[in-house]
Amino acid sequence: MRALAKPRSFFGFSLDFWSVTTLVVIAVLAILLILPIASVFLVSFFDPETGRFTLENYVQVFTRNYYIKGLYNSLFVGFAGTLGACLLGVPLAYFTARFEIRGKTFISTLAILVLVSPPFIGAYAWIMMFGANGMITNFFKAIGIATPTIYGAKGIILVYSLKFFPFVFLMTKTALASVNKSFEDAAENLGCNAVERFFKVTLPLVFPAVSTGAIICFVLSIAEFGTPAILGRGFRTLSTIAYSAYTSELGGTPKMAVTVSLVMMAISIFALIIQRHILSKRRYASSLTNRPVIFKLTGWKNIAAHAFCLGVVIIAMLPTLVVMYTSFLETKGPVFTGAFGLSSYVRVLWYAPEAIFNSFRFALAAVVMIAIFSGLISYLIVRRENAVSGVIDVLMMVPYLVPGVVMAIGYVTTFRTGWFDLSGTGLIIIMILFIRRLPYGVRSTTTNLRQVKPSLEEAAINLGCSPLKAFVTVTVPLIMPGLIVGSLMSFITAINELSSTLILYVSGTVTMPVQIYVSVLDGEFGVAAALSTILLVCSGICVYAVFKLADDKESSFL
Amino acid sequence: MSSVEITNIRKSYGKVVALSEINISIESGSFYTLLGPSGCGKTTLLRTIAGFHFQDSGTISIGDQSIENLPAHRRNVGMVFQDYAVFPHLSVRDNVAFGLKQRKASKQEIEKGVNEALRMTQLETFIDRMPHELSGGQQQRVGLARAFAVDPTVMLMDEPLSNLDAKLRVDLRSELRRIQQEMGMTTVYVTHDQEEALAMSDVVCVMYEGVIQQADTPFEIYKNPSNRFVANFVGSNNFIKTEKNSDGTVSLGSHLVAEKIEETNVSGLLVSIRPEDISIIMEGQQARTDQISIPGTVQQVSFIGREAEVHGVDANGSVIQATVRPSPEILALRAGSPIQFAFSRENLHVFEDADTGRRLTCAH
Repeated sequence: MRALAKPRSFFGFSLDFWSVTTLVVIAVLAILLILPIASVFLVSFFDPETGRFTLENYVQVFTRNYYIKGLYNSLFVGFAGTLGACLLGVPLAYFTARFEIRGKTFISTLAILVLVSPPFIGAYAWIMMFGANGMITNFFKAIGIATPTIYGAKGIILVYSLKFFPFVFLMTKTALASVNKSFEDAAENLGCNAVERFFKVTLPLVFPAVSTGAIICFVLSIAEFGTPAILGRGFRTLSTIAYSAYTSELGGTPKMAVTVSLVMMAISIFALIIQRHILSKRRYASSLTNRPVIFKLTGWKNIAAHAFCLGVVIIAMLPTLVVMYTSFLETKGPVFTGAFGLSSYVRVLWYAPEAIFNSFRFALAAVVMIAIFSGLISYLIVRRENAVSGVIDVLMMVPYLVPGVVMAIGYVTTFRTGWFDLSGTGLIIIMILFIRRLPYGVRSTTTNLRQVKPSLEEAAINLGCSPLKAFVTVTVPLIMPGLIVGSLMSFITAINELSSTLILYVSGTVTMPVQIYVSVLDGEFGVAAALSTILLVCSGICVYAVFKLADDKESSFL
Repeated sequence: MSSVEITNIRKSYGKVVALSEINISIESGSFYTLLGPSGCGKTTLLRTIAGFHFQDSGTISIGDQSIENLPAHRRNVGMVFQDYAVFPHLSVRDNVAFGLKQRKASKQEIEKGVNEALRMTQLETFIDRMPHELSGGQQQRVGLARAFAVDPTVMLMDEPLSNLDAKLRVDLRSELRRIQQEMGMTTVYVTHDQEEALAMSDVVCVMYEGVIQQADTPFEIYKNPSNRFVANFVGSNNFIKTEKNSDGTVSLGSHLVAEKIEETNVSGLLVSIRPEDISIIMEGQQARTDQISIPGTVQQVSFIGREAEVHGVDANGSVIQATVRPSPEILALRAGSPIQFAFSRENLHVFEDADTGRRLTCAH
């Protein structure tokens, strides 16, 4: 029995399976996450010629008008877009959570479809409707009415509001469903009318959820590249400035692109810290002893509530529908002839089949890795509560906050050195998709694993399974739903990725979103619409799968 | 089934000592209960035997094999969990067969083992059910069947009944004891429920702050607790403050409790008396002369059916609770009524007035 004595140890650490896994995970995160971000930091703080520490880049960003204007614009559309999303999302959540609204599933489904379609598709669809040569613009022009322009800040805010409101809606709705009705009854009993009750009791109680939804909107708005790039027309935000700085600095050190990107990142982190600080003072434990009741509205109130709810989701869905519709129109260059046909799809298959192929190849490869690492990382976070797993848990927040542009520039500077060059390969795109979408998989799997009692694994070990075998035979089957939902979410977001791939792609590694973006810029609206439709259908199929598999369907998308 | 020998086990988490110098000897086939409040180290000790924690020092032997350094999956000890830990993705049959398959048993052996285990736990008809189709009590039977299907050297049970409702808990308690005795299963049982411990065990080991306070038969634990903690934790008890007199005697009111008492350097002393050993003497009546009686006043009387509980205070403010046969006179007592609490000398013990103060031997 001596041979079996004590698990093998190495410098006092026992080298069991999970210790090795911890080391592997730390190594992967160090290379794919920390190193690129650190290299971006270094580029922004060091002069490429002299190699000395400098604040010159930051001084430029905060003194030159061009950058200050960009900063101001980013903050302006960020705040306004978030506010718009809240103004649409909170009432929608309240109406659907508390009143009898027909077609609630339909409303939620549309909101989720809006969520998973890339925002720049929306931007470009609004141009097709309200742009200089848009269908609706032309229609009103024909009867002599001038329509407001869709370009610039107004258009961007409109797109952000309509695109990001589902985050606020879904978060708030979940929270509203778990507010103990006794609180509202108590407010009424103490003399509040319905409106006072909402503003004095209900809204403060769901504020944590509203603010979490809002902060997601804000972070995504700041990082969003496609929408301001397509709708901006001279209205520059930090993300478009960073991208054009990157293309103009191509070949040299992308120091201004990097510095601007880091300012964007700082804004997101700052916003998150403020929100966390506010939330830390408001923690409401609530027992759901008295469930909220669904109230039936009558008369004009009922009609107004229905009109609002259906109106919001249908208008938000409109761009997607327009894109799908136009994909079936015949084109002659940038002009739609008005006839129906499949020529756009033929052109896609003829000119850009590799975009479709690449998108699937990259996203699938990334998702396979994400699934494997999600299982392992969530186990480390949930079951191995030590300092290292705590660090991994915190690191899983980072990809949410780092804009794709920053990440991509970090990858270029890290993985393109004299003797080691991954730029232009499919691998670098797979790597960045993996690290940027890993948190979706980890979060979903972690939530699932927290519901699996640790005693189940102990029982398996007690019955003779090694820890690794217990994980594979007992834990993995039990976290499979979370793993699949997380993988689907990663897949949806990976296949829609634009900001980082736009920087990393070469002609051989073009993906669908990149091809759509390039086609829009080239005026190839037909091709863009056909590709967008393909992308939307893929996302839609995944959404359907998530709906089939997830317990808490809507929360899976947050 | 085998005997268990635990020698000098120590375990600490940082500065917190979870187990200090644990020495336990468990006879083969006996039911050994670790009893104590939460945080006393009983679960830590059980999990150390199972191999889910490793001790800082000390040895654990089962039969003649030393197991303290084996990984958990090689120890061949059965375990029943508080939350059942029945695999939700496997049927009852597959749950019970899990350990046998793990041991590469043949098909026939597995089938025989599963059927035998299910027969013992009266689960034969549930063999193809999934866990979510079973009640809590049935799930725990599956947990039990699964654990003994692999013929473990010793059975470890971590509060297996505490998630069940009261009625079922009592039923399953006697069934567990029946199976344990039929199979001659050496069992280490963890609980915080003292009634459960007394009802089931051959030996009860009371733990507190990582230290064994007393290990003895249930009767000895209840009748002759070795320190104040055990006297207080197991069953209800009254502690009445008293002092050692300058001549070395101990008295309670005007009564002599002990003529001579064991040496101690703790000045304060407590006299313990169980509620059921106290009788209530109404105003105007006299206690028997061979009994100690102390005057007090009633605070509250509660009638709970089989018996009545009289809560009162003595002249020094010590709270005294007596459990007596309900009668119209007792139930007529009101707060403030003067009464006397009477009890026999042989039923009381003297303890040092400290958390785990020793019981002092007295000469009457």
